[in-house]
Amino acid sequence: MLTPLRKTVYSSGITVYHIQVMFEDTIIAVSTAPGYGGLGVVRLSGDQALQISKKIFTPKKALTAISPRQPLLGYLFNSEHNERFETAYLTFFPAPNTYTREDMVEFSCHGSPVILEEAVRLGVKAGARHARPGEFTLRAYLHGRIDILQAEAINDLIMAPSLAQAKISFRQMEGSLSKKIGAVRKALIHLLSQIEATIEFPDDGLKISQRHIQKTMTNAIQTVNELIKSYDFGKTLSEGTTVAITGRTNVGKSTLFNALLDRERAIVTPYPGTTRDYLTEQIKIKDSLFSLIDMAGMGAATDQIEKEGIQRGRRLAKEADGILLVLDASRKETKEDIALIKKFQKQKAILLLNKIDLPVKMDIQTIKTLAPELSILEISALKRLNLKTLEKTIADRFIPHPKKSANIVLHLRQKLLLQDVDDALQNALQLLKDGYPEEMFGEEIRRTLPALGELTGDIRMDDVMSDIFNRFCVGK
Amino acid sequence: MESYDFDVIVVGAGHAGCEAAHAASLMGLKTCLVTINLETIAQMSCNPAIGGLAKGHLVREIDALGGIMGLLADRTGIHFRLLNRSRGGAVQAPRAQSDKALYRSAMKHWLEKTPNLALFQGIVTDILTENNSAWGVRTIEGNTFSSRAVIVTPGTFLNGKIHIGLHHYPAGRANEPPSEELSESLKTLGLQSFRLKTGTPMRLHKDTIHWDHFTTQPGDDKPVPFSFRTHKKLNNKIACYIGYTNVKTHAIIHRNLDKSPLYSGKITGIGPRYCPSIEDKVIKFPHHKRHQFFLELEGLDTAEVYINGISSSLPLEVQKDILKSIPGLEEAEILRPAYGIEYDAFVPTQLHPTLETRPIANLFFAGQINGTSGYEEAAAQGLIAGINASLKIKGRPPFILRRDEAYIGVLIDDLISKGVEEPYRLFTSRAEYRLQLRIDNADARLMPYGKELGLIDDEDFKAFQQKQKRIQRIMTILESEKVKTEAQKTIRLKDMLKKPEIKFEQIREHVPQQAELSDEDIRHIESEVKYEGYLIKQAKEIAHNLKIDKEKIPAQLDFQSVPGLTREAREKLDQYRPRTIAEAKRIPSLTPAAITNLHIHIKLQQRNAQKSSPRSER
Repeated sequence: MLTPLRKTVYSSGITVYHIQVMFEDTIIAVSTAPGYGGLGVVRLSGDQALQISKKIFTPKKALTAISPRQPLLGYLFNSEHNERFETAYLTFFPAPNTYTREDMVEFSCHGSPVILEEAVRLGVKAGARHARPGEFTLRAYLHGRIDILQAEAINDLIMAPSLAQAKISFRQMEGSLSKKIGAVRKALIHLLSQIEATIEFPDDGLKISQRHIQKTMTNAIQTVNELIKSYDFGKTLSEGTTVAITGRTNVGKSTLFNALLDRERAIVTPYPGTTRDYLTEQIKIKDSLFSLIDMAGMGAATDQIEKEGIQRGRRLAKEADGILLVLDASRKETKEDIALIKKFQKQKAILLLNKIDLPVKMDIQTIKTLAPELSILEISALKRLNLKTLEKTIADRFIPHPKKSANIVLHLRQKLLLQDVDDALQNALQLLKDGYPEEMFGEEIRRTLPALGELTGDIRMDDVMSDIFNRFCVGK
Repeated sequence: MESYDFDVIVVGAGHAGCEAAHAASLMGLKTCLVTINLETIAQMSCNPAIGGLAKGHLVREIDALGGIMGLLADRTGIHFRLLNRSRGGAVQAPRAQSDKALYRSAMKHWLEKTPNLALFQGIVTDILTENNSAWGVRTIEGNTFSSRAVIVTPGTFLNGKIHIGLHHYPAGRANEPPSEELSESLKTLGLQSFRLKTGTPMRLHKDTIHWDHFTTQPGDDKPVPFSFRTHKKLNNKIACYIGYTNVKTHAIIHRNLDKSPLYSGKITGIGPRYCPSIEDKVIKFPHHKRHQFFLELEGLDTAEVYINGISSSLPLEVQKDILKSIPGLEEAEILRPAYGIEYDAFVPTQLHPTLETRPIANLFFAGQINGTSGYEEAAAQGLIAGINASLKIKGRPPFILRRDEAYIGVLIDDLISKGVEEPYRLFTSRAEYRLQLRIDNADARLMPYGKELGLIDDEDFKAFQQKQKRIQRIMTILESEKVKTEAQKTIRLKDMLKKPEIKFEQIREHVPQQAELSDEDIRHIESEVKYEGYLIKQAKEIAHNLKIDKEKIPAQLDFQSVPGLTREAREKLDQYRPRTIAEAKRIPSLTPAAITNLHIHIKLQQRNAQKSSPRSER
């Protein structure tokens, strides 16, 4: 039988039980990022953590017992060859006040990948198992120390391609998104319990006003929609704002592309779930991520794969968050130039008059009158002139600005679930307004609970029942 | 053993026992119904009423399957109401107050006349088993009776203990002896038990009540019967009355809380949240200045009045003070004090969906012993146990209703896969498919099963078939005939009826052949039309789930190899060794996530096996 690890009692009386699930094995992994660095950490988690650690570590001074939370100096030890191979500190963290709620051990040593991997290998030989990606966080979630949104936030924090996202992930890790969704869930459970109580106990004189039901649903819809809208901003953080460089041939698109890349190429670990294209590259401006799409790469396709790539690129460009429309200022403006300007003037675009290192033959005044709403910059990609201004303009014009304290919804998973909730609530509201009976719009509200539960990882079927009996004096 | 005294022995003649015995007998099996007291067959221990939300649904389902509770409730009912008339068909339910004495004797007569059924007054002390299979019972005088199956339906009698104030005494019901040895006998067989508690209110003398202080609640003008087989018109013989406690009452209760064993923790069992004692109500809802109660006459030939809403385990003196504080009841005489009762129940997760226990073959449990409360919940289980014991004896496949087919299915599935923490009562919100499980379609859902099992006779089934034909004719008319709305738009009759403000009465004139439709027919048509969108959507979902349920789990599948399962899930799977996904879903405390993992793993294995099979074989 599963024993509750802890229980959270909300003010409404709803109780959520967090259940401890014991895993048999003890996991081990290198905890610091790959690559050479000053310090390396190897972590173990599980009930065999200390036992296994003792097999691969000898303390400098022989001890009878290891004190918790005190770093102990010693050596990593290879029992096969009976040799010490590295100085290290061992720290033991006993359950339950640890990251994963299990016993944990951390080894700190020099950050040489070879040494760290050897420590892990010996640990595995001694009985541990190599942790799967995210498994420490998974255990923290399963042991109830964090909920699923926080788990995802930790992952985002580690993978954050930009500081802006890191800031948001940190807030989410602290539970702000969970709180907001939790509040919606609680409100809907309360509402549902009121509706169900009037249905199940028709003789008990319970009444619930139409106005109250409407108000609760409208509030919930509003919160959910705010969170859904924030996804667009969240997406740009996790996947980068897409900026397409477009224009006629030979205006200098590739030169511009490479110039921007030279200056601001972002080193990004591939974000799980997004596809990287040979047509896009990442740059970082201020502390935000941008995906540059090189339309210059869209020549004639030679094979099927290239054709697909180009189609993908065209679609990306069409849905791009921002356009850099490049014109060759060293030549007189043509009909095609004007057509392009007209095409993009309603979009988020920056008009670039390139090649100003050469004598300017384009009538800049005419261009300005054609597109009074667009930002126009004169640059030279080749000679790297005015590119700093360009970057500033890109950052200013293309990043959507959310409200300061907004909860940002980062993942498609979260957005889709919230959309399901929104659909159901909109249906419910409409049914209510049209005069349909409670059991019908109640059905729609019921639909939202599993989705909300999936978002926070709490699935408790009995919450409505509990709420009814806590709030209403019903039954005989 | 070559020959048995009986095919089926049923222990306990409460609501579960009566349905079990009746069903087994009708299915042709030699049955014996053993009871401690023949006078109290089908005694309503508490509320003199049958039905209500979800419970009324159960009675309709029991009736559609050939059970007798509905028929007898109609015959002995004295006050009928259809609840939630102002709401949709899915949440409407019949409720009736019955004359308790009449109900008891009606049931006794019915059973006395049932072929293949023998009634016997005796106290069963032991269930006899050999090789983990039940083969009979022993009574207190030492006599043994052998049978192929034993159904145990002892209600609240197992190690029952009654509490009034700080005084307690062993009893299965007020002043009726408990079954102590039987409970121990079951525990010795290795079956796991736990303690539950419940309570019942006081009974008052009707002539000592000042009735003008209370609001009347009359019965329905046109009472809706429980049974599809009741054809005579029903009449209300009495009204019911509503009253309220007040702050004086609550003060009295507060002053005496330490004398309430239900409250002071002297009773160890867990009580039902939805049937709170008046002590519970007053403490939990201190801001309520009054609590509602109902005064219900227990029969036409008796002076006893049941005070519905004031169940309690406070001492008699305090109960008297409570009455004195309520205008109209100051002089009310108590005929029977309110009391709390605790009793043994047995963990229902150790049952098969047929209600046969897993550890002991041919032993079935039904009713309060499984942790439920309510006459209707008990009757439904009794019916299922009786049917399945008979099917097993006949060597036929078991009868298991799904959650999307019947509230009976929801009830039993909840019991065996989730277990109970407090006495389980059915609510409509426990059903995922509440819109499908209505009183108006219980016959469509279940009567064909009843006929197949031999519990519904030809005549009744013919009437059912004619009803279905009638309904079908009208549905076709609704699909094709058109009518003009107020806005002068032309729409189908069906779409007109779908509007929330429109009732069938308003379109009746446009429907030919409408004169032959009964009220019951009309209720059904309205529900089918108004819920159509949801019904279609849910039908798809149900079909999808059914497909998954049927997926076989390979017999040699090593559950240790299925990724993403917790150790507990693996242990449970190894223990129960389910053969299909449906069986896996019923394993207690196995989460939906685990089921999904298992299902995906099986599908992947299948796909890999297909890939590696040589092309020529296709």
